[in-house]
Amino acid sequence: MKIRKELWFGFSLMAIILVTVLIFTPWASLFDGHLSHDDLGALGLLMLALIVVAIMLGFPTAFTLMGMGVAFGWLAYRSVNPEIATQQILDLMVQRAYSVMSNDVLIAIPLFVFMGYLVERANLIEKLFKSLHLSLARVPGALAVATIVTCAIFATATGIVGAVVTLMGLLALPAMLRAGYSVQLSAGAITAGGCLGILIPPSVLLIVYGATAGVSVVKLYAGAFFPGLMLAGLYVIFVVVVAKLKPHLAPPLSESERRVSLPPISQALSGRHRNAMAGLLGGLRSSGLPRRSVLGQLFLTLLPALAIVALLAVMYGSATAPLAAVDTAGLVQAGSGVAAEETPEPSSGLQEPPMEGATDSAAAKEPESLGTAAVPATAPSAAAPALAPTPATAPAVPAAERVPAPLWFWIVFAGGVAALLLISWLMNWQRLEIFKMLLTSFFPLAVMIVAVLGSIVFGLATPTEAAAVGAFGGLLLAGVYRYVAAKQDHRPHPVNSTLRDLGGIVKESSFLTAKTSAMVCWLFVGSSIFSASFALLGGQQIVENWVLSLGLTPFQFMVLAQFIIFILGWPLEWTEIIVIFMPIFIPLLPKFGVDPLFFGLLVALNLQTAFLSPPVAMAAFYLKGVSPRHVTLNQIFAGMMPFMGIQVLAIVLLYMFPQIGLWLPQLLYK
Amino acid sequence: MQKLLLTIDKISTFVGHAFSWLIVGLTLLISWEVFSRYVLDHPHPWAFDAMIMMYGTLIMMAGAYTLAKSGHVRGDVLYGFFRPRTQATIDLILYVIFFIPGVFALTYAGYHYAAESWAIFERSNVTAEGPPIYPFKTMLPLAGAFLFLQGIVEIIRCVICIRQGEWPSREEDVEEVDVDKLKQMVHVKDEDIARLDELVVPQGSRK
Repeated sequence: MKIRKELWFGFSLMAIILVTVLIFTPWASLFDGHLSHDDLGALGLLMLALIVVAIMLGFPTAFTLMGMGVAFGWLAYRSVNPEIATQQILDLMVQRAYSVMSNDVLIAIPLFVFMGYLVERANLIEKLFKSLHLSLARVPGALAVATIVTCAIFATATGIVGAVVTLMGLLALPAMLRAGYSVQLSAGAITAGGCLGILIPPSVLLIVYGATAGVSVVKLYAGAFFPGLMLAGLYVIFVVVVAKLKPHLAPPLSESERRVSLPPISQALSGRHRNAMAGLLGGLRSSGLPRRSVLGQLFLTLLPALAIVALLAVMYGSATAPLAAVDTAGLVQAGSGVAAEETPEPSSGLQEPPMEGATDSAAAKEPESLGTAAVPATAPSAAAPALAPTPATAPAVPAAERVPAPLWFWIVFAGGVAALLLISWLMNWQRLEIFKMLLTSFFPLAVMIVAVLGSIVFGLATPTEAAAVGAFGGLLLAGVYRYVAAKQDHRPHPVNSTLRDLGGIVKESSFLTAKTSAMVCWLFVGSSIFSASFALLGGQQIVENWVLSLGLTPFQFMVLAQFIIFILGWPLEWTEIIVIFMPIFIPLLPKFGVDPLFFGLLVALNLQTAFLSPPVAMAAFYLKGVSPRHVTLNQIFAGMMPFMGIQVLAIVLLYMFPQIGLWLPQLLYK
Repeated sequence: MQKLLLTIDKISTFVGHAFSWLIVGLTLLISWEVFSRYVLDHPHPWAFDAMIMMYGTLIMMAGAYTLAKSGHVRGDVLYGFFRPRTQATIDLILYVIFFIPGVFALTYAGYHYAAESWAIFERSNVTAEGPPIYPFKTMLPLAGAFLFLQGIVEIIRCVICIRQGEWPSREEDVEEVDVDKLKQMVHVKDEDIARLDELVVPQGSRK
């Protein structure tokens, strides 16, 4: 019996730890209450060993940590002054709990979680997957690539691994199997893609790491962006290469699967012109077609062109703006202001007080950021309506001389025009339909993510503010999609039924949010009491001395640390790993000259593997739950293996070229 | 007995549900504050305090609710393989060793912490003229008390499970991954999945 074996393994491991604990416990001094410094340190290590055993036993970790922290903290205080020990440990406890309650970094967690649940329930994944797979139809392994891209976008917006994997298991797995893809490749693409959400910002993992390690969440987001994209890109490359080399694993789509059914207008016009834009222009003149809908189609066709023109105009405006230097300084200042506001002093445990005057400084910076917003508005841009709220400052600027546009602008300009022409030329009727589908599924989500991330990374908003606005956006998104669905179903009262739907969605999402954030934050309460006790006992000191005595090079230390985290990812969840073990690793980093920001990015990449490493890979079980009976867990695991390999490769790449992660934060927050 | 357990479950759930609506309030409050600050140029000095208080109250008061729905994260490498009776025994012991002292201490300490705050009618020091903070600090012992109550219910559950050999039932609640609901959402039926098996079987035999 396989299960029994695993149990025996676990129990024997626990027994070994427990026996060691029993042998090394300083019993004698424990009872007479006179613990020496060394005894205390030994107790600290025992505490660490015991916590591993207790967590493996499966008791809710938050309370294990809390109970153990109180007991050992009391012992530590008692060794100093038995009379006030009880009072001291109670004070410590309540202060730690209160600092989690009033933590201005963790506050973003419920908001991002809420946003995720709302977006998940907006029910746009079906459209998203369909439009992406149609638009990628020509790429080898189109369905698998579309799966990964869908996962990356959807998981980024929601951050809920279980739901994403389940949904993609319901949507993408049948599609891929029907197209003749191998089970392994399909399963691998779904599970690996579904886990991207915990790395690509805005992710909760990075907030938890930021709060634990005292690293600015803003910098972590800026840093994790490119590694996340790199990982997704590596997945896509892998799938494309496999599909090219072994077409029987991922056969190309048949012609009928690529076709999109055209609406009547397009059908009528497609006979005359192959190109949609020319056809629609022609259609304007011809009679027999409803003029308004032709105009509407034409407008949609021109949207990419308009976007490019607007972008070029804005770029021209900022490149030639006379006051550019002054204004960008304002931008940087405002950005660093927010960054500084988010950066608590680096501390071993959790940082304590909410930063005083945070609101004040944000308020003080605000006129400057308004000033920068006004600059693009001076340009004769098509995007002017978007910047309409700041016309007050606009008239003052055009008086000054414009700077002639630099060379790079003209290169970009040429590129833009070329892209414009190419798009217009390539826009046939099929592509127009696909583009319309993308417009209703891919772009809203992408715009939302970019807006949330952009405002954080460029320092326009704190992560909390961006998260709240993102959640609000998610609410709107859910409302709009439900309304459109209700309209399409021809329900009698679309508005009423949408509102009822939306009420249900908000209710469910807020209950789930409460549970998830309570779970994370109570874990924080427990672990901050625990790590305080650990530090009191001097366990931290011993670990530090021991690691330093090994005489590791920074490289060896990094490999060791990542390896330990990788191993811990097998029995533990990422929340536990970060909250319990990061406070032990973080103080060691300066000794080896490792940037905590960089370390955090590596950890976030590393913990991806925890979701994919059998036998406890959660993603596999979620997928198994919705796949056909004959898809075995072993097939899913086999499919995940190459993707795990890619993750390890990504970690190595990031370690070799730290600039992948550090370039953006260094550029933005010098 | 089962009735009493479910009643206390219901109380915890009710409290949790009631306080989870704070997330909606929090979202709206911050969204409004952002709008007010950047567009109307009219920031509110109390907004930061209000945000923190809403967040803190939300997470603390949802603790008991989360416990009632067994939503607190646990390492289930081995736990999942145990028989219910073994699970209950381990849980029972650890509830008594870790949970009861820990949560009791938190509640007790929180009570005095809040009492001190009430005694001086403490106000927040984030801004001058900060809003009163003693109601917020009261949430700490309150949340601890609810959690303690729910913990006792869980202990009784363990005892019942040890006697009967299976876990007594819980109230249903929204789940993070509700497969049936998700299936409905993307219009996938069980038959469709079953039909896919025909495609999977030949692949398995080919290997």
